[in-house]
Amino acid sequence: MIQEKYTINSEETSLNLVQTQIESVRKKNITKTGFRVYKDEKIGVSGAIGRYDEQEQWEKAEKALSLNIAYPFEVSKNLEKSVEKTCDFADGLAFSREMEEMLKVLREKHPQFIFSNKINLVTDTVTLENDKGLNLHSKISKIEASILIKDKSSSDLMDAFMGMEGTQWDREEFLRMVNLTCEGLEKSADIENGKHKVVMIPFGCEFMGKLYSELHGLKYGTGGSLFSGKIGEQLFCEPFTLYQSLSAEDGILSPFFDAEGTLNKGDRYTLIENGVLKSPYTDKKYARQFNLEHTGSAGGAYDSVPSLAPSPLVIKKSERTLKEMLEGEKVILAFFASGGDFTPEGKYATPVQTSFLFDGERLLGRLPQLNITSHLYDMFGKDFIGVAKDSFTSLFPMHLPVMHLKVEKI
Amino acid sequence: MYTFPKGIYSDVRIEDVFETKIELTDGRLDEIKEKEYKGAFIRVFDGKRWYYSATSDIEGIQNELDELAKLADPNDEIENHPVVKKFEVNQGDFCEFMGDKDISSTHIDEKKNLIEAYTALLKGDKTISSLKSYYVDKRKRKSFHSSKGARLTFDFQMAGLRLSFSLKSGEKLFSESYDCASAAFGDLKNKDKEIKERFNQAVEFLNNAQDIQPGKYTVIFSPLAAGVFAHESFGHKSESDFMVGDETMRKEWTLGKKVGADLLSIIDDGNPAGSGHVTFDDEGTRANKTYLIKEGFLTGRLHSAATAAYLDEAVTGNGRAINFEYEPIVRMTTTYIDKGSKTLDELVSEVETGILVETIKHGSGMSTFTIAPSLAYAIKDGTVAHPLKISVVSGNVFKTLNEIDGVSDTIQLHSFVLGGCGKMEQFPLSVGFGGPYVRVNNLDVQ
Repeated sequence: MIQEKYTINSEETSLNLVQTQIESVRKKNITKTGFRVYKDEKIGVSGAIGRYDEQEQWEKAEKALSLNIAYPFEVSKNLEKSVEKTCDFADGLAFSREMEEMLKVLREKHPQFIFSNKINLVTDTVTLENDKGLNLHSKISKIEASILIKDKSSSDLMDAFMGMEGTQWDREEFLRMVNLTCEGLEKSADIENGKHKVVMIPFGCEFMGKLYSELHGLKYGTGGSLFSGKIGEQLFCEPFTLYQSLSAEDGILSPFFDAEGTLNKGDRYTLIENGVLKSPYTDKKYARQFNLEHTGSAGGAYDSVPSLAPSPLVIKKSERTLKEMLEGEKVILAFFASGGDFTPEGKYATPVQTSFLFDGERLLGRLPQLNITSHLYDMFGKDFIGVAKDSFTSLFPMHLPVMHLKVEKI
Repeated sequence: MYTFPKGIYSDVRIEDVFETKIELTDGRLDEIKEKEYKGAFIRVFDGKRWYYSATSDIEGIQNELDELAKLADPNDEIENHPVVKKFEVNQGDFCEFMGDKDISSTHIDEKKNLIEAYTALLKGDKTISSLKSYYVDKRKRKSFHSSKGARLTFDFQMAGLRLSFSLKSGEKLFSESYDCASAAFGDLKNKDKEIKERFNQAVEFLNNAQDIQPGKYTVIFSPLAAGVFAHESFGHKSESDFMVGDETMRKEWTLGKKVGADLLSIIDDGNPAGSGHVTFDDEGTRANKTYLIKEGFLTGRLHSAATAAYLDEAVTGNGRAINFEYEPIVRMTTTYIDKGSKTLDELVSEVETGILVETIKHGSGMSTFTIAPSLAYAIKDGTVAHPLKISVVSGNVFKTLNEIDGVSDTIQLHSFVLGGCGKMEQFPLSVGFGGPYVRVNNLDVQ
């Protein structure tokens, strides 16, 4: 019998902003622990939140073996690695003081706007260890901001959004990004209906959903995916390479291992290379069941049987800067495009709630509400231009994708 | 029970949770577990700022309360603060799910047998490429204590299942699911006919669905889709936290303003049984029935104590948190459109060219709302015709509310155990929604 312990601790100072002021401070320090036992190709799991009796938990996990959940795979073993990423703030107090100062600047510089929602200082510590020599440890401290920006004269719930997830804090750069957005909101712009170059803000635009669903190992293996049976085929354009990524270089601040203790070289696994399908994403179960490559994409709650769950999918950066890709054109920056979807065959449509006319550096004015449409095979095929090699901000990696899309004003 | 620090308002919410989860893939058991845990959320308010702590250390609550109080600035007049004055002081035991009604008293084997039996109804059908089956239940017993004297115990319970099937026929692909949920385990039984009907609908869609010609259409939403429409298009805008300190929004949202068609009434109510049921909210306020729109006029909005104080309105019982790790914020409960006078047949027969949306994948709502349909059908010359493949239905919220021209005469309220409502960091919150069939003109369909 193998015993394995999966521990997730989350420590947080969360500031809630109302009217560009700190309205509340929330503290959290919660540990969730999963206990797994493996025996005779079965797995048993138990779990606890907070304090626990270790002996009792192992006994519960062992008892759970009688539920007959199959796990006929090799448990990860003889692997030790520890990665710690520290943040610019020593503690919640220093963090709160700095955010008070930053908000004071926002109130003075942007009296026309209301800034609200959350800025958090988070430390996530995740450990996966077993009695076969597996000992993986990740501790990441980071700043998470998700700030809603609203023009005081606007009757929308929000007009724009400033998001970040990073370990470095640079107040000047953060304020520059906010200034850029507010300047864009203060002016109006217009475009003609038709096909346009569109730059997508990845955290505000849901344009990758079909890739997540169609690259799912179970869906692929059972023939239910658009891509089923097409490994080795050229599905998209040459510049389109897609990783499953846990890499900080891609802006992902997550543990470097999956829930089964699998690591990938460079924390990435290539699923589509130069437009050619290499593999769907898989865990140990579906890799074996469908004779697919094992990409290390197991997830699940602390007390779950590990199961297939998508890791972040990231499009490879091109060799061109954003400016080079825009070629001096004024284009559309889709800031917030939510609620759309794909048909089963891949036709895509979404409203764009917030967008700007954009020259690659400045937001030249807010555009009216738009509909954008395309097809999965076009937007990452003939209409795909690339992902900028330069980051739009130094706060965190933000490499913007550019593609041609059909645009209509609503 | 607790010694509440002087000069500050404080409250403690303890959640005692029981959960079951069973998951199968193509009939094979992937997961089966029961778990129980406790957690607490502690709040302290000095009249200027809130201080919160989320903890799983129930024995350490008093210490946590005392530590939070050290951050606050005590205020002898705190009892007279407008927000503190809004907090209700309710006392008593209001638990509904005790003894045999407690879902934890049903043996896990019975739950497993149920989901396996439903899975067997579909397993082996040649059209299915993969079949995922879920049984999930949750019983949450909450106790709430405040420095104003609230001493409450109440509970929430929901059990349900989902069968998700991916279908394939040649090059044609389609995914659909059947969902069912109730506070009582017994209500999940005898669903064979409904499951088969949904499956047959999906197979018919797979084989016969045609592409939509994008454009403006009259759309009839099913009770499920109408509920999501009400939730997304108007419910979120009725959550009054967005109005705090915002004069433009206060003027825009003056009660009594005409915002929709005469036959439109939208209600949020925490009282009906189901996934939006709350006896009390997470601030100890009793659940209310709130008309957001009555006969086209803006008549109410949803409040926590803080927003009710700011707008000088009554609390509505909508201060809710997804779990013990979060503070209550203004959220919906069960949101639905009130019934009208027409039958579904009448609604359809009056449409020359339009669309009937039966089931949906998701919805969203800002100034533009969206509904991503799953099972949708063309309406031609007053009858429901072939299935239609649609990416998204969208419209401007306020224009759309005035484009409603028909509402059917029967309401259905829907409950769920998987998924829920998301608002910023807090997802998923258990909510309910529904309504009658609702006909809306001039929606953008892609």
